[in-house]
Amino acid sequence: MDTIISIELGTNAVRVYAFDLKGQVLAFAKGAYPTFHPFPDYSEQDPEQIFITMLFVLKNLLSEKIHPKKYKVVSICFSASMHTLLTVDKHGVPLGPVMTWADSRSKAEAKELRNAPISEKIYQVTGTPIHPMSPLVKILWLKAHDNETFRDTVKFMSLKSYIIQQLTGACKIDLSLASATGLLDIHKKVWDETVLAYAGIRVDQLPDPVSISDTCGKLRHQYRVSLGLSADTKILIGSSDGCFATLGAGVWAEDMATVTIEDSAAVRVVGTTVLMDKDQRLFNYVLDDNHYVSGGPSNSGGVIFEWFAKQFGDFKEAYDLEVCIEDLMAEAAGVEAGSERLLFLPYLLGERAPIWNANARGVFFGININHERKHFAKAAIEGILYEMYSIQRMLQNHRNIKQISVNGSFASKPFVTQLIADIFNLPVSASSNVSSVSLGAYLLSASELGIYNGITEAAKTIKLAEPFKPNKYHNATYQKYYAIFESLSGKLNSDFEALAML
Amino acid sequence: MKQFVLQQGTSPELRSFPDIIEIGSKKNISIHLGSMPVLAQEFLRVYCVLEGKFEWQLQGQRFVVYPGDTVLVLPNQVFGSTKGYLEIGTIAWLYLNVTRRENGNLCWGAWSNLTENERQTISNIMLLSRTVVPSRVEETVRILRALQNELFNHEIGFHTRIRHLLDELLVLVTRQLTKQSHSGRDFPKIFLQLEQRLRENLFHQWSVEEMAATVGMGTTHFNERVKTFTGFTPTNYLINIRISESIKLLRKPELTLTDIALDTGFYSSQHFSTTFKKLTGYTPSEFRKKGSADS
Repeated sequence: MDTIISIELGTNAVRVYAFDLKGQVLAFAKGAYPTFHPFPDYSEQDPEQIFITMLFVLKNLLSEKIHPKKYKVVSICFSASMHTLLTVDKHGVPLGPVMTWADSRSKAEAKELRNAPISEKIYQVTGTPIHPMSPLVKILWLKAHDNETFRDTVKFMSLKSYIIQQLTGACKIDLSLASATGLLDIHKKVWDETVLAYAGIRVDQLPDPVSISDTCGKLRHQYRVSLGLSADTKILIGSSDGCFATLGAGVWAEDMATVTIEDSAAVRVVGTTVLMDKDQRLFNYVLDDNHYVSGGPSNSGGVIFEWFAKQFGDFKEAYDLEVCIEDLMAEAAGVEAGSERLLFLPYLLGERAPIWNANARGVFFGININHERKHFAKAAIEGILYEMYSIQRMLQNHRNIKQISVNGSFASKPFVTQLIADIFNLPVSASSNVSSVSLGAYLLSASELGIYNGITEAAKTIKLAEPFKPNKYHNATYQKYYAIFESLSGKLNSDFEALAML
Repeated sequence: MKQFVLQQGTSPELRSFPDIIEIGSKKNISIHLGSMPVLAQEFLRVYCVLEGKFEWQLQGQRFVVYPGDTVLVLPNQVFGSTKGYLEIGTIAWLYLNVTRRENGNLCWGAWSNLTENERQTISNIMLLSRTVVPSRVEETVRILRALQNELFNHEIGFHTRIRHLLDELLVLVTRQLTKQSHSGRDFPKIFLQLEQRLRENLFHQWSVEEMAATVGMGTTHFNERVKTFTGFTPTNYLINIRISESIKLLRKPELTLTDIALDTGFYSSQHFSTTFKKLTGYTPSEFRKKGSADS
């Protein structure tokens, strides 16, 4: 039997899935790697550790679950988190660790660029909001603060490009990841000379941008031998986690959106046109020749509720966060919509969409002597979801969204999915347990193998689960609370700023 | 606790216990200049505070100790009162004959019933610990008090009982060292601390028991958590870090394969080669020749 492998190079771990040709999962394995924060605002990872972890997990999965059953690996498809930056020298050796999307050391550069006249043009051409996450802004930081590395850099790579180069020798970047660098003209799908000049780099310092279905050469002989793969195993470069998650969620119509809530979160739509937001709040990333994935990313996902649980939950057994979270949610379920006039702004990590304020902070508002832990728990969850709703409302300016598909470990908990339906006032389907990212990778791989006639047809094979229907009564309450949430989230900017200046 | 001081060589009570260098308890009511200078100290010293507030320093790090705090001073560490004298208050202490081997490890006498493995782990945890003051080790006071009773009263079995108490002291202080700042809530956070510890001491032959103890967990629970969190067994996770580091070192032509193997914690260049090849398909020297930019 033939098998299709998907490798997700995520923020915290590599996840490897093996699918049969019909998209059923045959095997799964993961391996985690750490993020280091040597200074405040720094988020770094070790490229070699990620490479070795990937190799280790893949090798174990193949030798334990695939080879013994005589499955034949026909293709391996990659996905990765966006906005990573790795500098390498002329020997291809990394000059430092990988900067992840969460690295915000370039706050000052982002602010300066955002206020410069050229920012409008850069946003229109590249589709990437100007923010410390953007590799463009990271490069500006390097130029200003680590000029030695900047000068010695022969290639500015994404993490995935580096991994692929280790495996096959090709120096490429897929258009999805390229379109999240702030350096690519997303309309013409080439590196933009004007932006590159602004960053002070040349086209030859970047990997070649290629379509997500590009095969990046053959696996080096040694890896073929150690992994037990044949020479004709196709290596597909694949896409970004965000683009694949949207494809894998089966959201393939203009009136649908996906809400992804893992640690971080995003609301996304797919379409054939670029969505331009006059306040530069939406991203537009390239999926394939005809499709863009647009939306808004938020820092305030499941990680915020995890924080709450770690601080205030009961740990019956040491380190058993999952059980602690479940208990808190069960408690919260007993609280009425609106948490009895308690609201929460979830900006514990600053925020991207829709307010794009790195200095924003969390707020509980409306605390009363009668409030108990369960009210805070419920308010925390509602706050996270109001924030998602505010992104959906931005998208609603461009699209008439009638249905939501949710994925990610936080959003797909039934209690949370129902709340999303109630707050958004829309039917909400939750994806099955399989990672939407890898399902997206499967759909692309299967299309390339000719099983589907293109990804549009492939995406339509995803059956959405029976949706959670909104409770009209709760929605009426949530509309009133949301108005206060929105008002609060816009009011505190000068105070957040003042707090950051202390 | 009554005031008393027993010293090896002068106090007959210690004659049968040559490894107890000094044990005592003192209520200090007046200041004597120069009574507690900052010096490199011999032996393993355990101090616990019963009354008062003391400003001390250990290895250049200043801190304040309060009743209930225990301070652990390892052989050769520089320790003393920041003001140079013992302040007003009550303390109890024990100096135990613990020395350093040539490789830096701590070793103590045959009186101890701890196994070789346990000794090794305790030594490593003590040496690696960045915590100076394990606070709230009320157990220390209880043990010192019990030692005092046994030494003075000579009840049946006191020889054995004293050796047990000393072992217990070593074990409890070590456990407390590992438990500092770990609330039992944030596994990713303590795992990251462990990862940093492993990377700083990659040359060390870590056992799973030691890794678990470093983050204050039992081995079984630790194994389970690491597997769920990382997808790897602790041993495999460590191999992962060793290989990742070795890749960086292989790019430095001035280092020999044996240097790299030992720096990254492999037993030998042979062990390094086998593990490296099993994972990557390349031997270390092939990997080195290949560079990484070829196409």
